[in-house]
Amino acid sequence: MVRIVLQLVISGIAMGFVYGLVGIEYTLIWNSTGLLNFSHERIIMLGAYVFVGSMITKIGMGVIPGIAGALLFIALFAVLVALVIFIPLRNMSRMCAIMATVMLGNIINEGVRLYYGPEAMTVKGFLNGIVRIGSLVVAKAYVAIIIAAFVILGLLTFFMKKTKTGKAMRCVSSNKTASALMGIDVQQNMVITIMISFLICCVIGVMVIPLYSVNQSMASMISLKGFAAGVIGGFGSLPGAIVGGLIVGVIENIGGMIFPSTFKDVVAFVFLILMLLLRPSGVMGKKSVTK
Amino acid sequence: MNATLKKHGGLVYLPLLIAAIFLPKFVNNYYITMSCLALIYMIVAFGLNFITGMTGQMNLGTAGIFCLGAYTSALLTTRTGCSPWLAMIAVIAMGVLIGFGLGYPSLRLKGVYLSLTTIAFGEIVRQLANNMTNFTGGAQGVRNIPVYNLFGFELNTKVRLYYFLLACTVLFGFISYRIIKSKWGRVFMAVRDNIDAVDACGISSAQIKILAFTLAAVFGCIAGGLYAHYSGYINPSSFTLGLSVNFVVMVMVGGSGTLMGPILGAVIVSMLPEFLRFLGNYYQITFYTIVLLCTIFVPGGICNLRIFHRDSLRRPSGN
Repeated sequence: MVRIVLQLVISGIAMGFVYGLVGIEYTLIWNSTGLLNFSHERIIMLGAYVFVGSMITKIGMGVIPGIAGALLFIALFAVLVALVIFIPLRNMSRMCAIMATVMLGNIINEGVRLYYGPEAMTVKGFLNGIVRIGSLVVAKAYVAIIIAAFVILGLLTFFMKKTKTGKAMRCVSSNKTASALMGIDVQQNMVITIMISFLICCVIGVMVIPLYSVNQSMASMISLKGFAAGVIGGFGSLPGAIVGGLIVGVIENIGGMIFPSTFKDVVAFVFLILMLLLRPSGVMGKKSVTK
Repeated sequence: MNATLKKHGGLVYLPLLIAAIFLPKFVNNYYITMSCLALIYMIVAFGLNFITGMTGQMNLGTAGIFCLGAYTSALLTTRTGCSPWLAMIAVIAMGVLIGFGLGYPSLRLKGVYLSLTTIAFGEIVRQLANNMTNFTGGAQGVRNIPVYNLFGFELNTKVRLYYFLLACTVLFGFISYRIIKSKWGRVFMAVRDNIDAVDACGISSAQIKILAFTLAAVFGCIAGGLYAHYSGYINPSSFTLGLSVNFVVMVMVGGSGTLMGPILGAVIVSMLPEFLRFLGNYYQITFYTIVLLCTIFVPGGICNLRIFHRDSLRRPSGN
């Protein structure tokens, strides 16, 4: 019994890091531009498709160069999207902005279907197998996700706290006018933020390939639960997103044990609504809810 | 357009209605099916216009409302054998219930929080419909839903159903028109434009929001019921977030705060992809691109373009 619970908690924590990373990725864009990026589901999918479809299958690269190639492609794509869509959009009404990002996601989705075809893809032997820790059995994919999450979090913290661009990013997220007065190029800073966010999406996409295989709807659940993670942790807070992600991951796994396992997905959303009603500012958030 | 409406009442809509009445004479069955769907979606868009278009509360859970309406009617008629008309009462009750249930959170939540709550609502409904296999039939859906029966006159052909749906749409369009032009309609828009002023005038913005949500939910549920009996078969996979997004697109592309907006929007969103079929594989990507360009360059919707009314007091939607 204890072992089963531990097992569930561990896989919950691994999924929690995925949700947390999704939370971080859209919170970065939210803090910087005030846009809620509803196209992130498709960006995650695009990352996975570029990695498997182009880098590995078509060009025949190894895993590490493949990931690097996919990251490079996504970074260029991010700059394009930022300049053409996100930055012009941020002064428009919120409803228009939401719809525009949703439409962007649909366009990416269709583009992927036309270019790569409708069949699901997978990579043979990529992060397959299990790791034994004592009597616990953990899938290699989960271990990889946890390591990747720590690497990303470490790099992100270092970047935000130590480098000049990172510090400027924090300034832009707290006050755009003051940042512009201090000589920060706000627009350029937003492009960099959007690029980092898209890169995180790409890494998430590559990491979840062993769990979902590569298909058009691979990211729909993790993107929605990533939203839940962000809200539960406290909207707009980066550490909150990770905490929220872990809470969602563990709760849905425990919930899947108590209720029939098909209700696993419902548990996370019900918890989201309860949380919004009882404490909308989240576990680690500030009091204001008016954004 | 606004000025013309004031002068001539609803005369603008007369040519549209005449065109709709004579439509089945000129087109084949396929287009009649498409038109039926467009009419059903129009009713949903009329409802969504109150809450998202006029009151400015983003609702991305319309597919959930639509789904609950469809399942209420479908399960009642197939399991208990009661008439679809009797089920309609249950559907309306369900709409009121959802309206209150979604309305109360909206009092405490604003902006993106509300969008996320409504997304979660839609997702919960779809997952439950998918997973409560014993009750809803699960992923296989509900089959053999009976058709409406009008005094012994079975609505069993596409053309008959089309006229029945047209009559329903005209009825709900009329109700919607009267509400938009009433005190409620003006208060809805006031909540969107300046909520503090509404409270300062002694009108409870909380009650107004719940009212708008309830209207939207009742319209959405009734349309769901019509959809279930129209198609005869429903399954959870049609009520996705993508459908909710489509409903919002209808209201936004058409233009919020008018009756013409949802009508145009529903027709455009359900018909335009069909007319783009000549592009082959590329028809959907073209459609999405058109919508994206529309949201960026015509944010207020087609009906709120300046060329239609010069006395433009009405601001584009949203806050």
